[in-house]
Amino acid sequence: MSSQIQAYDPEVDAPAHHHPVYDYDSGPPVDRGKFAIWLFLATEVMFFTGLIGTYIVIRTGSPEWPNPKHILAVDITAANTFLLITSSWMMVRALDAIQKGDKGGLTKWLGFTIIGGSVFVGVQVYEYIQLLDHGYLPNRDLFWSTFYAMTGFHGIHVCVGVIWLFCVWIGAVKGTYTPQNYVRVELAGLYWHFVDLVWVLLFTIVYLM
Amino acid sequence: MSETHGFNTNKIFGALLFLTIAEVGWAYLPFATWALWGGLLTFAYMKGHLIFTYFMHMKFEGWIVKGLMVPTIPLMLIVVFANMPDTAKNDLMVYPLTVQMDAETGEIVVLDETERAKRSPGYKKKLEAHGEEVPEGVGGGH
Repeated sequence: MSSQIQAYDPEVDAPAHHHPVYDYDSGPPVDRGKFAIWLFLATEVMFFTGLIGTYIVIRTGSPEWPNPKHILAVDITAANTFLLITSSWMMVRALDAIQKGDKGGLTKWLGFTIIGGSVFVGVQVYEYIQLLDHGYLPNRDLFWSTFYAMTGFHGIHVCVGVIWLFCVWIGAVKGTYTPQNYVRVELAGLYWHFVDLVWVLLFTIVYLM
Repeated sequence: MSETHGFNTNKIFGALLFLTIAEVGWAYLPFATWALWGGLLTFAYMKGHLIFTYFMHMKFEGWIVKGLMVPTIPLMLIVVFANMPDTAKNDLMVYPLTVQMDAETGEIVVLDETERAKRSPGYKKKLEAHGEEVPEGVGGGH
């Protein structure tokens, strides 16, 4: 008789209020991390909308506005833009590598992505130093205030992305990720692509228009 | 060849490279402002679309993820255009670029290079170093 006793009988052991017992995840049919990162990116979209939108409103209302192509180093920044796009492509290659089980490829492409992002930040810092040396301070006028605000916050996001990717890279070196477990790589990649996407818009609006 | 989710990563990257070069070239062409800006925004949209759709895999996501981003579009439009009548299109608030409010008097002043230099503490020190009289208001620290 004892062999017929079950460890758990829903009809006997269920809570007194007789709620059904589920043995599956009743959350949304999407990975929690992916859901959360997209929700976070939606908030980041609003953050940059505030910055870029303010720039648009201020520029629209100003009777005069300097031509950025005459003041800013468009050629260097264009190369920097291409660098960031390339790092985004390398991030895609990294994710592709781990999806196919190539752990060495993941480590390699992640490393290249980190290098690309670091060089981007370095070039931005160099540009800031050059501008500040010429007296173009953030409090000089609205053009420079908005310029430093937008590019500065984007630069901070790039720095955070580089640090995040470095943490993911450490995990890749340790062999943490597999074709069945690579969601952390994907989440870091989504953030990195978003940072690249924002820069594509910033470069156009701030440097070329 | 790098095939991911049914698209060629290298082709997308090549398209982004081409669009970047074309965009920078477009910026230096002698077009009217509306054509210049329209072209630049079109290039930016195409590049952003490629990154968003393919690199961020939005094309292959389900309705839940896509639904998360849908509310951001009207919110963006509201943030940018809702306060334009009160700011950008408000004739009472249209000032030259170098206009600032004097922190001490509260009045709106136009700061050209000379005026800006006069208000810097460094100018006051320069006058004092040369033994010159420092006029009132110089070296306010703006």
